[in-house]
Order: sequence, then structure tokens, then C-alpha cells
Amino acid sequence: MMVELLLLIQRRSSIVFRVTFILSVVLRFMRLAYLIGYGVEIEKSPVNSASLSMLSWPKPATWPSIPPDSSAEVMAKEKTILQAKAREKLFDIQRKPLPLEPSSLLREANRRRAFLSVGNLSELYDSVDGSGLGAHSKLSPNKSSSNLMTRTMSGPATSETSLPVDRPMRLSEIHVAAEHALKQTISDPDFMTSLSSPEEFESRYMELTKGAADNYHRSWWKRHGVVLDGEIAAIFFKHGNYDLAAKSYEKVCALYSAEGWEELLADVLPDLAECQKILKDEAGYLASCVKLLSLESSLFSSKERQAFQSEVVRLAHSEMRHPVPLDVSSLITFAGNPAPPLELCDGDPGTLSVAVWSGFPDDITLESLSLRLSAFSSADEGLKAIRSTDARVLVPGRNIITFDIPPQKPGSYVLGALTGQIGKLSFRSHGFSQDGPVDTDEFMSFEKPTRPVLKVRKPRALVDITPAVSSALLMNELQWIGLIVKPIDYSLKGGILHIDAGAELKIEESQMIEIESYRSDGEHSSPIDASKVLSRPTDTGRVEKVPIENGKIKLPDWASDVTTLVWFPVRAINDTVPKGTSPASPQKHSIVDGMRMIALKLEFGAFHNQIFERTIAVHFTNPFHVSTRVVDKCNDGTLLLQVILHSEVKATLHVKDVSLDLQAGFEHLGKGDGRPTSSLFPLVIAPSSKAGILFVIRLSGTKDLDELEQADSMLHIKYGISGDRATGAHSPVPVKPDDSEELLFKISLKLKRPVLDPCLAVGFLPFSTDCLRVGQLVNMKWRVERLKDLEEASLSDDEILYQVDANPQNWMVAGRKSGHISFSEAQGSRIEIAVTCVPLVSGYVHPPQLGLPDVGDANISCNPAGPHLVCVLPPTLSTSYCIPA
Amino acid sequence: MASTACFVIVSKNDIPIYDAEVGSAPKKEDQAYQHQFILHAALDVVQDLAWATSAMFLKSVDRFNDLVVSVYVTAGHTRFMLLHDSRSEDGIKSFFQEIFLNPLYLPGSRITSSHFNTKVRALARKYL
Repeated sequence: MMVELLLLIQRRSSIVFRVTFILSVVLRFMRLAYLIGYGVEIEKSPVNSASLSMLSWPKPATWPSIPPDSSAEVMAKEKTILQAKAREKLFDIQRKPLPLEPSSLLREANRRRAFLSVGNLSELYDSVDGSGLGAHSKLSPNKSSSNLMTRTMSGPATSETSLPVDRPMRLSEIHVAAEHALKQTISDPDFMTSLSSPEEFESRYMELTKGAADNYHRSWWKRHGVVLDGEIAAIFFKHGNYDLAAKSYEKVCALYSAEGWEELLADVLPDLAECQKILKDEAGYLASCVKLLSLESSLFSSKERQAFQSEVVRLAHSEMRHPVPLDVSSLITFAGNPAPPLELCDGDPGTLSVAVWSGFPDDITLESLSLRLSAFSSADEGLKAIRSTDARVLVPGRNIITFDIPPQKPGSYVLGALTGQIGKLSFRSHGFSQDGPVDTDEFMSFEKPTRPVLKVRKPRALVDITPAVSSALLMNELQWIGLIVKPIDYSLKGGILHIDAGAELKIEESQMIEIESYRSDGEHSSPIDASKVLSRPTDTGRVEKVPIENGKIKLPDWASDVTTLVWFPVRAINDTVPKGTSPASPQKHSIVDGMRMIALKLEFGAFHNQIFERTIAVHFTNPFHVSTRVVDKCNDGTLLLQVILHSEVKATLHVKDVSLDLQAGFEHLGKGDGRPTSSLFPLVIAPSSKAGILFVIRLSGTKDLDELEQADSMLHIKYGISGDRATGAHSPVPVKPDDSEELLFKISLKLKRPVLDPCLAVGFLPFSTDCLRVGQLVNMKWRVERLKDLEEASLSDDEILYQVDANPQNWMVAGRKSGHISFSEAQGSRIEIAVTCVPLVSGYVHPPQLGLPDVGDANISCNPAGPHLVCVLPPTLSTSYCIPA
Repeated sequence: MASTACFVIVSKNDIPIYDAEVGSAPKKEDQAYQHQFILHAALDVVQDLAWATSAMFLKSVDRFNDLVVSVYVTAGHTRFMLLHDSRSEDGIKSFFQEIFLNPLYLPGSRITSSHFNTKVRALARKYL
């Protein structure tokens, strides 16, 4: 039989190409051991199965028969066979045990019995133990099965001719027979010893396997070496040497895990886990269980996976000596929402929903769950983790978890890591999963998606408040101020507007605030959302009245998304009396006088965390600006005073009555009631235009210069105004029901007495001749007239000195150049002064002038005025200078 | 068509990125497992042979019963390994070459594309 075995070595090729001799010996050794009944000792592992299933049984011409008196041995062998059971695996993992034989030994042995015919073989099939027949039928050499088939076909199949002389051998009998045959043929005592008992066999087997493994490792066939290490581990395990078993199993698992051959790993890892559990290596056991769960779910049944999970959970809740973090990156994965990223405004919190996929076979309770977000551009995870609600249960598959996000800094954020706790152990998962079915070729399962899930906008304007009108409002009257409140892509729900009036401005809190929806002129009548408009179809906007308290207005809900106009009544106070202007006293009109400041603050936002502040300036003005001028002055001292009313507002002013209280030094003529000359009321003044009113006054006598200087005239104007509050000044808000619409405006005017106060008039009388010639006498005449009585005038004497001024180079004065004149004191009295002069040069020359040196210039009126230049012709030709020849 | 054939693509860092049973016989679980084991063990043999020769197609590097392991090594040291029971060498070589030219591949990751799967099976039917 040994010869046959040696022949086998040459003929059959083995699983490894350049197998070392030792391994081939191992295999044959194992085959022999199986032959004699030690098959139960041989672990049914892939390598053994693969190796042994190829190694066929010896094929002697006839199978050795059972020696006589071996029934005890047969019984013993039977017992061994019956007691054999597959090693129970941890977690109740059931696997079909791999075959270790190429074909049934029972059949093979009995086939070689000479006295059995073919027909009986079919009976044998039915009674054979099913350990190897079905499973390895593919692996067995084609030859044997085909042989079997042909024999079955060709041979007679009837049963009556096949009565055996002897019955077929049972398995135990085959083993005993083989053992005896071997004992007779094997000469080597060592070899014999190793086959003498299962324990001996095992130790020899271990020795040989170790040798083979070392060889492989030395030849860098690490996979083969590691696989044999696995075999050795199984033997260690069997003998309770769990520490060494675990070490060897770890090597195998490490190789398979590193190279990613999950099916192979699934076979060995439970063994490692078992060792770790026995050795109370909690961390290792936990890691192994997690790894088992992480493998492809098709490799284990759901019951087995549930067993893994329950172990993990049990350990997580127990008091581990050295708690370790769980690596569940492939079991708990997450993905963001496929929708566009959540957009928040700066400073606003929000909620983010994330899909979390659980690869656990059962529901699993997480004691806590937190999500980290990292800013898109920077690599560090700058944010604190965001916690979701505590203690949630993840179901297998997809879970949607919402996280409350506190206000964040502006930027784009992507999903970072998911952390949490299962029991007392923390875990961290970086795993991203594809949310939904994968059906695309472009999907890279390990690529980190960089799609942002959260965008926090940079701080931007969320609302704008501007004044509704830009033109001036009436001073000292209760006017509406409008504010346009415009939300910019943000809801103002629950917003509160604080209005703080500055100095000299008072908000009338007894009145209600009006809020109406606003449409600027640029907007056309696009269909308005029905929810924002009152039921009246003709109404362009909605108006609501709300109270104001301590300067606070609560915005109604309908106003949160639309632009609204907020009207509130204020009164600007100015106690100073305005002054009119005249040519003599021009006044600078300062715009600052009429400006009033209002501080606005709007608190809004989902959590009242947004604040908008603005200070607006509002202009106030008097309805009129008044200027005066003297239109004409009559000789009797009557003055025509024109009072011009300039409208300062963009509204129509209706002047109902005007009266003028004159200052000291002036008095009215006519009716004397201070009203203008003609009755032209009511006078309508269009916006920004002017109207004039005429008064007839005259100077009244008074000697008190101080009083004259400080007195002011007061103009009273009763008027009404019709304007639109959206444009500018308008009719004041009636506070009490019986407030009249008639308004009173007072303005002070300063009239100045005329500077010029002539009491004498000096007039030039025309020349008697048309032309003046050089050397020709000419009479120059002046007339002096009294304009006022001597008492009124400020002259003391009734004799007036006169003087003629002439350029001596141009004129020769024949006569008196100066002298005194005296004439009647009564107003209107006249006197003529005549002086004869001779022009000396021709051309345009200044004529002689008459002056009154003692009288101030202010008191002289040149009327009629004298010529400025006179034309002097050259002398006539003089014949007296011609000399006769 | 080969009755048994198991096709695995192993990347250059020894991680299997694709595997498929392309035989016409019905699949049996333990057999499939053994095939994986055999191909994994054969990697040792391949690694020796691949450096020894410059050829891409290493014919039968190993045998298991009647099953043969044939390997095709690409320039990027990706190995196409086929465990099969047919004997047509040319057919296998053409099969490998067609697979090699198939562009549906992203380096480093597992091949999960169903198109690729279909193509592989079609090519297997054609050549094996």
C-alpha cells in the first residue's frame, strides 16, 4: 500500500505549485489518519478540505479485509464515529461542514471488494452517510463518477442475481481493516507511533504543519504560511491553549482583513472572537464582534448578525475595565439632505435634518448622538458638536435625525463626523453613505462628498427703514411721519419698532399708529397675494391701526413679509418767532433749524436676535417765508409796503386773512386796521410759489431812536393747508374733535426807516442856449427848494451857505463863487441862484456844481439832477487875428 | 462555456475589487467559498511569477484538481485571476484582454457597476 501511496505522489498534482515536500507528507499523513479513523481529529477547514478532497483514497486491487477477532476494535471505532460531532462555533454559526474526502470511503472500499457486484452499489448509495457524497461530487475525479455511471448502465441491474456472499463493510470495519494492513506494511517505528493513537497523530501533525508554515514564511509565500498558522491555531484551541490560538488566529484575520477577502475573514473571525471571549479580552472581543457586523451582510444569517449585535450591546453596557472607542464607521453612516443646503442668516439658529443609515441588524439604542460640522474651506473642524435629542433608537436602514443648530459664523459647512455613545462606549463615524439607491457608475463609495449642507450668510441687510417723504413738514403742528419698512428676504414676524424722538420733537401717543401696505410707484398692479390684502377688491392696500406705548410699536403679522408704511404723529416744537427778511435785513435761512432727528430700532428675527438701527432726519418748516420791500415812496411820505409770502411747503396754502401790527415809527393809512389795501382773500398759494400783499403806511413821528431801533412789526396770517402726507406738509392731525382747520402763523418783520431824509432839493435849471462855446459867457442857474418845514428838518439855520465848485482849468467863474441864501421856512419855498461862467476848453467837460456844505448829503435831494458832462464847442473863428497881406 | 469559472480582479495592493462566478453551472455556496480561498492562496504564486516574467498573461499558475488558475497581470500590477475548468488558452487570453480594455473602472475602489458585471458575463459566455 505504501508503494501505491508513493505512486500517488508522482501522479497527482497538488494545490500548490512548488509545494515543499513536508506539506505533501502532511497531506498524505492526514489521509492515512483518516483512513484509520482519525478523521474526527482533523479540523474541517478550507485548507484541509481543499487539500484532502483532492487526494483520493488508495486504490488497492482488493481492499484488505478485517482481521479476525477484531470485533472489540470495531466497537471502539464505532463509538468514536458516533461520538464525533462538529465543533460548536460561537454565536451558533452554522456552516455546512466542508468535506475532507474526495469520495465516500465506504463506497470506495467496498467497491474494491471482489465479491461484490455492481448492482449492489446502488443499495450502498442509499445507506451511506451523507457526509461527503453530495457535496464533493463535483470535486471528485470525473473518472470515478463516470466509471460508476458506465458500470451502472452496462451491468445488469437486477437484484436477484446480486445476492452477496458477504455483506458490505461498515465504516468502522474499513478503518480497522486499514489499520491492520498498515501496521503490517509500515516498518518505521516513529511513523507507526504517530499513527498509533489520535493524540500521537495530532502531535505529529502539529509538528509537520508548523514546519510547513515556517517554510512558507521563509519563502515569502505568506498567504500559504498564514493559512497553515490557522490550522495550528485550531489545534491549540482544541487543547485549550487559547492564548496561542488567539495569536495565530489574529495573524490569519489580519491578512484577510488587510487584503479585503471578506468571505475568508468571515470564516476565521468567529474563531478569533471565541478565543478572545474565553481569554476575557474585552476590547479584542468587542472589536471582533463589530468587525463581524461590518462584513457583508450576505455572509451571515440575520440571526447570527443579531447575535453579534447583542454581544456588542451587552459589552457596551457592561463595566469594561478599559473602555475602548467603537469603530462603527461602516455600520453607522450618514448623508446630508439631497435638497439644497439649509440657508441661515447670520445669528439665526435653525434645524438641520440628516439621514443616518444603520447597518445593524436590529434596532440599536444610542445614548447620545452629536454631529460635527466643518467649515468648507478650512480643514479643521471649527465647530462644536451639535447634539441631537438624547437617547434615540436607530432602526436598521434609514433614519432621519434633526439637529438644532445654534447661531453660527458666516460660511459654508459640510458634514464632518458623527459621534455618539452606545452604552458606555463612545463611537465616531466618518462614514458617508449614499442616501438612496445607487444606480450610477460615477459613484465612488469612499469619496467624501463635499456638498455643503449648511450655508450661513454673511451679515447682510435684512430690513430697510426709510422715511416716506423727503420734503418738509409743518413746524409746530401735529404732522404724520411715514416710515417705509421693507423686509429683505426675511420675515419680520414678531418685530417691535422702537421710535425715539430727539430734542424738540414729541410723539403724540394718544393717537393710533397707522400701518398700511406699501406699493412704490414703480410697481405695477401685479396680482397681489390674496392673503396679504383685505377682502375689498378695490382696496390697493391694507391699513391697520395699532397703539403705540412708550415709543414701541408691535408689527402685525401680516406685515412681516411685505413692505409697509408706518405713520405716526409728531409735533416739532420751535418756540422762537420767525423773522421775515427785507432788502435791508437779509437773513440766512439755516436748514438745520428745521431738522429733527428720530432714532429707530427694530428688533426682529426668529429669536429676536436681529436688530436694525437707524437715525433719520426729518425736516420741518414754517408754512411761509415773508419778505418785505418798499415798492414806492410818494412825496408826501406815504410808503407802499409790499409783503411777499413765499410758500415753503409742497402743499397748497389758503391764506384767509392777514394783518400787520406795525412797529413804532410807522403807522397805517387808510382804514387803519392793519389789513392790506385790497381784499383779495382767500388767497390760494400754489406749492413753492409766492404771493404779494400791499400795505399803505407812512412814517410816524417819533424822536426816540432806541425805541425805533428795537421795535418789530408782527404779521399775523390766518391760513389753511391742503396737502398729502405722503408728499409733505399736510393738514395737522386733529387731536380733539373740535380742532379747527384754521391755522395761525405769526412772523415778525423789521421795517427800517428810510436812510435818506431830504429836506432840501437842489435842482439844475436848463441852459438858455443850445450850445456852449469856448469863450462864450453862459448863465448857470440852480434852484433850491425846501421839502420840509424848517421845524421838521434837522437844520437849525434858515440861512444856507452855498458854494459853486468848478474846475479852474475848464471854467472861469465870473461872479461869486459862494454866498449865503435865505428863503422862506415854509415847505415848498424856492430860491434861484445864478452864476455866470465861461468855458475855457472845448470838448466834454464837467460843469460847475452847486453844493451846500453845511447840509448833510442825506438831506439833499438832487431833483432835477444836473448834467454830468456838457459839450463845449470850440470857439468861433475869429477874424480879428487875420492879418491882411 | 466553462462549467466552472470564478473571476476575481485583485488590485495592486492585494485587495479584491471585483469578483464574479461566471460559470454556467449553478452556484454552490461552499464551492464559491473554496474558490475564493484557492484564488487567495494563488496570489502567493502569482507574486513570484509576476516579477520573474515580463509577459502579461501568465497561463496556468496553479491547479486545483481539474480547475486551473490563470492570471493576467496588467502594467499597473492589477491581477485578473480566473479559476476555470476549460482548457482553451486562447479563449482565456482574449477574455482577459477584452476585460482589460473595459474602461468602467475607477482606481482603488470596488467595482460595483452593473454594466461592468453584464459585460463580464457576456464576455465570459463568448470566450469561455
